[in-house]
Amino acid sequence: MAPKPHRVLLDRVSGYADEAVAYLRRRHHTRRPFARVDVAGGHGASHSADDERGRELFRAAAEVIETARERR
Amino acid sequence: MPDRPAQPLAASPSAPAAEAAIDRLQGMADDVRGCAILDPEGAVLAASGPRERWGLAASGLLAAADAAAGEPATEVHVATEEGEAFAVRERGFAIVAAAERFTLASLMLTDMRAVLRGVVRSAPAAEASAARSVARDEA
Repeated sequence: MAPKPHRVLLDRVSGYADEAVAYLRRRHHTRRPFARVDVAGGHGASHSADDERGRELFRAAAEVIETARERR
Repeated sequence: MPDRPAQPLAASPSAPAAEAAIDRLQGMADDVRGCAILDPEGAVLAASGPRERWGLAASGLLAAADAAAGEPATEVHVATEEGEAFAVRERGFAIVAAAERFTLASLMLTDMRAVLRGVVRSAPAAEASAARSVARDEA
């Protein structure tokens, strides 16, 4: 017996939701700290914390994040 | 010409627009923890927290980004374990924000740029309005 149409729709939506949840879980596990700076003309580069300029960028970002904890 | 008290930077032409922009960005993006808008001289026009502290932190991020890029940065995104920091520059003005981890960076940068453009657009109009006000006082 063929499934009712609304059951097919529900199964399909559930399938998409499961895929989205799995994607977000993978993203949380794999995403590491990073820094990216873009300049005029659409050029940009990623910076790691391995060099002094990258470290300074991460230090400055940590200060911004810390400052945001204080409200007006 | 009547003596007019020196206006603090908080009352500079685009300060009210900047305050509204801060509120707008926080309303647009639930992930925003705090943000500040700086004028081309690096002074804080508006901030969601202590202005002096935001001034130092935001200027520090922009300076570090400029140094890392070797030229003025237009967009900055730094993701750390504690949260994410963003900065966008437009015609000398800058907006700097801190957001929750794993926020959608492209959406955040788009919102920030839209909000900052509103402030930039309002600046000349506000200056003209202030000039008209001064002219009225003098008449």
